[in-house]
Amino acid sequence: MIWLICCLMLTVACLFYVFYLPGKLYLGPEKTRAGYLHERKDAVYENLRDLNFEYKAGKVPQADYASLKSSLQDEAATILAEIARLESTPAPRKENRI
Amino acid sequence: MSNFSHRITGGTDKMGAPFIAGFARSGDFRRKAVQTILLAAAIFAVLGTGDPATRFQEIGHQMMCICGCNQILLECNHVGCPASDGMRNELMAAVDRGDSNSLVEQSFVQKYGPTVLAAPTNKGFDRAAYIMPFAALFLGFGLIGLVIRSWKNRPAPAIAGGLAPVAGAELERFRDQARKETDL
Amino acid sequence: MAEIGSFALLLALALSVYSFAAGIIALVFQRKQNPQLALAGGSIPRRTADSVSDEGSLTATLRRNSERIGETARRAGIATFIAVLLASVILVICAFHDDFSIAYIFHHSNRDLPGPYKFAVLWSGQEGSLLFWSLLLAAYGFVLRVRYKTDARLFAYASVIVASVQIFFLLLLNFAAHPFAIMQGSIPADGSGLNPLLQYPEMVIHPPMLYLGYVGFTVPFAFAMGALIMKYPGEKWIHITRRWTMVTWAFLTCGIFLGAHWAYSVLGWGGYWGWDPVENASLMPWLAGTAFLHSVMMQEKRGMLKMWNMWLVFATFWLAILGTFLTRSGIISSVHAFAQSSIGDWFAWFLLITLVAFAFFFFKNKSHLRSEHKLESLVSRESSFLFNNLLFILLTFTVLWGTWFPKISELVQGNKVTVSAPFYNRVAIPVALLLLILTAIGPLLAWRKTSLESLKRNFMWPTIGAIVTAIFLMATPQSWGSVFGLKPWKDIAYFYSLMAVSLSVLVTLTVASEFWRGGRVISRHTGQGMFASMVQLTHRNTRRYGGYIVHFGVVVVIIGLAGAAFNQDKEKEMGYGDKLAIGPYTLVCRSYTQDDSPNYESEWAMLDVYKGDKQIGTMTPVRRFYHASQQTSTMPDIRSTLNDDLYVVFEGVNQDNGHPILRAHLNPLVMWIWMGVWIMLIGTVLALVPNAPAPVRVPAQARLEPAHAAPVATGD
Repeated sequence: MIWLICCLMLTVACLFYVFYLPGKLYLGPEKTRAGYLHERKDAVYENLRDLNFEYKAGKVPQADYASLKSSLQDEAATILAEIARLESTPAPRKENRI
Repeated sequence: MSNFSHRITGGTDKMGAPFIAGFARSGDFRRKAVQTILLAAAIFAVLGTGDPATRFQEIGHQMMCICGCNQILLECNHVGCPASDGMRNELMAAVDRGDSNSLVEQSFVQKYGPTVLAAPTNKGFDRAAYIMPFAALFLGFGLIGLVIRSWKNRPAPAIAGGLAPVAGAELERFRDQARKETDL
Repeated sequence: MAEIGSFALLLALALSVYSFAAGIIALVFQRKQNPQLALAGGSIPRRTADSVSDEGSLTATLRRNSERIGETARRAGIATFIAVLLASVILVICAFHDDFSIAYIFHHSNRDLPGPYKFAVLWSGQEGSLLFWSLLLAAYGFVLRVRYKTDARLFAYASVIVASVQIFFLLLLNFAAHPFAIMQGSIPADGSGLNPLLQYPEMVIHPPMLYLGYVGFTVPFAFAMGALIMKYPGEKWIHITRRWTMVTWAFLTCGIFLGAHWAYSVLGWGGYWGWDPVENASLMPWLAGTAFLHSVMMQEKRGMLKMWNMWLVFATFWLAILGTFLTRSGIISSVHAFAQSSIGDWFAWFLLITLVAFAFFFFKNKSHLRSEHKLESLVSRESSFLFNNLLFILLTFTVLWGTWFPKISELVQGNKVTVSAPFYNRVAIPVALLLLILTAIGPLLAWRKTSLESLKRNFMWPTIGAIVTAIFLMATPQSWGSVFGLKPWKDIAYFYSLMAVSLSVLVTLTVASEFWRGGRVISRHTGQGMFASMVQLTHRNTRRYGGYIVHFGVVVVIIGLAGAAFNQDKEKEMGYGDKLAIGPYTLVCRSYTQDDSPNYESEWAMLDVYKGDKQIGTMTPVRRFYHASQQTSTMPDIRSTLNDDLYVVFEGVNQDNGHPILRAHLNPLVMWIWMGVWIMLIGTVLALVPNAPAPVRVPAQARLEPAHAAPVATGD
């Protein structure tokens, strides 16, 4: 008999926890296009720092370094420009969410 | 890996030679490779036929105890094992008689079945056991070669994410920002 | 009690089914609401008012409430954990209360079993270990669902995948291998006891570690699959799962080596790895997972190998389940095999379904995984990772092939064959040595492009070091120790050992040179001393330099493995004062006797150990006979030094004169293996430490980042 009551209580507690959702839900920060671009920027920056470091550690010759660095900087600049564009014209948040 | 110690003389050379020889490119290199491998094979073959104690160890590590313990014959360690003592004595007798390795193995296989050998043989379908991994290795090398070639020939990709490239003063300004933020 | 446990399992099943179904409904309707994930580019189609009015009322309700439904699914996942935890706790309590009315407790415990092993009952048999597996999965799911705010959508997808795996294990527990099944007939007075081989302290820690590793790979898989299904924009999901993967990998590493240590300390055959199918089953996901840990960097840094990584993370997860299938189905004979049962069929179906489901989504969303970058040069970190992956996958394939070959042979030629150590020595060791060479070269290669000159320059000194080591090992007298005076032409095992040790030196030197080179750059820049610079270097890029320390740990392990080529052993019946000489040691029998305790009776010998004329200690190998299970087990005594292990086993007693029969093994360098594992773990922990922020000169305006642009995923 006791075990029956225990099982019942357990079920009720679980159902209560799962289905009782008072108030507004908070689902964490919304992911924006600017956020995505910042991730991309971080990755390109990371690559640029790596390249600088490996150049200074003597693994990459001067000529390669210059061309690789230039292409990475182009990529970074493009992303930065887009970020700047997005942030200068505040778009309605709703449109940019996932 | 603990069985690193098992004498595997006479196995690797048999497997290695045709593969390495087959894949060596230039004629000169191939001739040298074959010579080296044959030499190595000869050395290992000569060294394989040692004194009876060494041969006992060598063959005993190529066989399994058949009592169900799934251990190498000479590593089966339970006293009173119904199988391993008899098998060891048999092996010792065969080695003392001067039977060749293959003869000993054949007689064991006849008596205890093919599972008595600790590794597949170099005959028939058993060979597939050794061929497949090496075939996979060379196939893999080939595939990587193809992948590398196609990646190298790929045109410089547009920047992903639907970004329009910038130019002129704007480009310079942002490049400068990137440079400043990533300099060590 | 048992009833509550049974009910908790049923409730857990219901909750996880709900979590799965509601999760899918929520995601499907949220997806319809915002059909295009336009973050990665392109325009965002807006829904028009017309499209809403066309819908039926149920669909409209679901659509409106999809976020709330998603939240209930998440909570149901959390509640699943509570229910499974309750069931597990009840099983352990029943074990402590010696409740032999539960068949599982009867079969795996007895009244006199020491407490820790009663606790370990949870994982010492088929049903319990499936419950434990389920518990760990639920626990990982719990953490995942609690941290959902990192990226709510991605986590919702991952949560559904985890729930689907959870359903499978809970179905098994409820309908095929019930841990709370009741004994038929009268309740026995005592249980039949735990297998004596399992009564060793590591029993309490080895299975949990291994299972944490096996189960943990479900999480990266769930994230990968979620990212694939939702066409996740960018590679951030990798960043989020990076720590999960590393932690899981560390658990699996730990589990495997604890298993090896256990085998070494308990089984008494003097070795630690027997290439048994169950050992192979743990090695396969480890190899695939290691490949994934490397190749995932290609995706994170360069956006390359996306499809390959997807398959790799799936393969790792799949191989972990396959391993369980191998042990539980009895399809391949193994010393570890659990009682044969029908659950093999369940696993086979599950493996098939996951394969089909994964393949379906992969081919459906393949276009999302196209690479963005080209390969600048063959001499680059990128291409070294390609070869690294090839060799790891080849090793995985070799182990898989060797494990299945007996079965394949039976199908093809009608008879089984044995695939044991000699096979793996022939096939896997050469590949492993190739991998070691790659481990030495890889760190010297820069991303994108490295000049051959710099490679030559950086590789020269380590190579010279390795060659000098090889010559030194061959030229030194054998009396210095086992690995000295090595004659590689005498035996191919010696040749492999020499190669392994010299290549290990090569790897160590390249790793050290990487630290030194990096430290020098920082030192020049900051004016700090070399050591402080190297510490800062590590802190700036913990994953890379922690990874190098893991590499160093691996080579220490390999040196330990290479020592096995010089193993010796001797067996002797020893009366009082009898001597047994092995290597530099002489064992003298001082006494032998018997002892009795409630759980077991033991026989043991006491031996004095001499090195030369000097006594350096005593050893007492023991053999135990366990009352409950009526089985014997040996407790070897091991005397470990950096140079070698003296390992003595009490094999039995000569019935005629009562003399003990002892076997002594001399196993060189074994301690290096355990030390190497510690170094690997230290390296992994270092790699988990967050990077120190790069010291950048940021212009004042750029520092003011808008609030919504803050990193989306802060935790991983």
